[in-house]
Amino acid sequence: MEQIGKQVRLPFRRALQIALSGIRIRFGRSLVTVSGVVLGIAFLMSNLTSQLIKQSIAQEAAQRNTVNLMLSLVKAEIGDVAGRRIAVATFGNLTAVEQLLLAQLKATADVREGAGATVRIVLGNQTNSPASLTTLTAGMSQSVVLDSLANRVYAGPTNGIRRELFFGTESAEQIAKQARQARADKFRNWWIVTISLLVTVFGVANALLMSVTERFREIGTMKCLGALSSFIRTLFLIESSLIGLAGSILGVILGALLPLVAYGFVYRFGLVFGTLPYGGLLGYAVMAVIVGTLLAVMAAIYPARFAARMVPAAALRSTV
Amino acid sequence: MSLTIRLAETLRQAGDSAKGHYVIRAVDVKKIYRMGDSETHALRGVTLDVRRGEYMSIMGPSGSGKSTFFNMIGGLDKPSAGKVYIDQVDIAQLDPYELAWLRCRKVGYIFQTFNLIQVMSCIENVTLPMAFAGKDSEEARDRALEILEMVGLRDRALHKPAEMSGGQQQRVAIARALANSPDILLADEPTANLDLRTGEEIIELFRKLRDTLGVTIITATHDLKMLKASDRIVWIDDGRLARISTPAEANIQLEEVH
Repeated sequence: MEQIGKQVRLPFRRALQIALSGIRIRFGRSLVTVSGVVLGIAFLMSNLTSQLIKQSIAQEAAQRNTVNLMLSLVKAEIGDVAGRRIAVATFGNLTAVEQLLLAQLKATADVREGAGATVRIVLGNQTNSPASLTTLTAGMSQSVVLDSLANRVYAGPTNGIRRELFFGTESAEQIAKQARQARADKFRNWWIVTISLLVTVFGVANALLMSVTERFREIGTMKCLGALSSFIRTLFLIESSLIGLAGSILGVILGALLPLVAYGFVYRFGLVFGTLPYGGLLGYAVMAVIVGTLLAVMAAIYPARFAARMVPAAALRSTV
Repeated sequence: MSLTIRLAETLRQAGDSAKGHYVIRAVDVKKIYRMGDSETHALRGVTLDVRRGEYMSIMGPSGSGKSTFFNMIGGLDKPSAGKVYIDQVDIAQLDPYELAWLRCRKVGYIFQTFNLIQVMSCIENVTLPMAFAGKDSEEARDRALEILEMVGLRDRALHKPAEMSGGQQQRVAIARALANSPDILLADEPTANLDLRTGEEIIELFRKLRDTLGVTIITATHDLKMLKASDRIVWIDDGRLARISTPAEANIQLEEVH
């Protein structure tokens, strides 16, 4: 019992070694098998990366649009801000849009507190307290309160709120239509990705089956030498997981670079790389590698069983 | 499981020393292959005892059941009826683990096409059966070098099979078969893919192994030189044991074949 247990466990390192050198020796064939995984995973990864890039660029574009709209509203109220002395008061945490707006204001106008400022701009998420607003806008010839949370601009000449302006809203119908379109696109995308991954699985399974029939004598010989079926099975599962791992890593690199470069040329490289959420990209990469390796192992289940069932007498057959 | 085999073996050997004299016993072995409705009788009842330390050759035309019988006494196939005992153990009773154990330690296989694992070096090929036997790698390496020395290839230990001649490959294969000190060497046409001189070297090596290690050698062969070197020649025809003779008795037939 003890000895047989040893016989089952010990050769795992050996199996890894055999599988590795097997891949190296049959490099050409392994390359074909690997490229199947590479293509499938590259397609998956390019889809995920494109989505990330599109999302982050769209987000960036939407933010810039809002900022421009807010700026144009400010201009409509108080005239061009360029070079003017402007006092800016902020409340609480600024949203990304508000930060961008502040940066733009600082870039064009002379943003400073204290005497001499005739214009007051109020930013932040606590702008609807009339008392403090009144204090803030006192003594100013013009004032603008931007409330991005409520999507409003309040403006007044001296003190108090004069009027409300609305901006940046799309109709509910339009939003629903866009969401429907996005869902349909997403579904179609995933459908194509799924099909391509299935093709990958069958491609790898086919290549491995070929490899098994090619190696029937080697497998039979190992069985004659005392290898258990489980060892043969392990051998093929290790081989395919190594192929899957290598193919997935290559596929991920290829699949991530391709859309990055393509979008870089379409937009600007600075915009694409500047807005890309790298954490999300890494997460997708890890996921794609895991998926690729699992698929390769899945593809190997049948060929590995086929190999394990091979009878040792196969080694004696002199013709292929 | 190995313990059970050993125990049974020891008991039988102690109880019946006359039986221990035979390393393989085939008793009325039949093998029927079924393909749909048709039946092929590959073996129609063969009874044969192989003595320990014997050098036996099996002959027979193709389709005679020779290969089937050969596989049977090598533990590669199970009979449809009758019994095959390898070292007193009825192989029909063994589960896959025990069969693997038996192939690993009791029988060494030598093939017509050498069947070395191409991706492994000479010494890796020889240590492989020892890895299957659970031997640790240091010990296996030493043993492998020792056997390679015996077959005269110690200096080629790190070469790949593709870098060696047919005769050298076959000697590596013989070293591999000897790795776990088996009782039986089973060789299927071991000289068929070799030229005359190399074939003679292999035959000489077999003789030497039989004399020094006391290993039983069974070959399936048509090689006259091999037949002449053996103690007994077994002729199988149409699934039956046609004749058993010594090379001297079979002299006339040998010339006919020639």
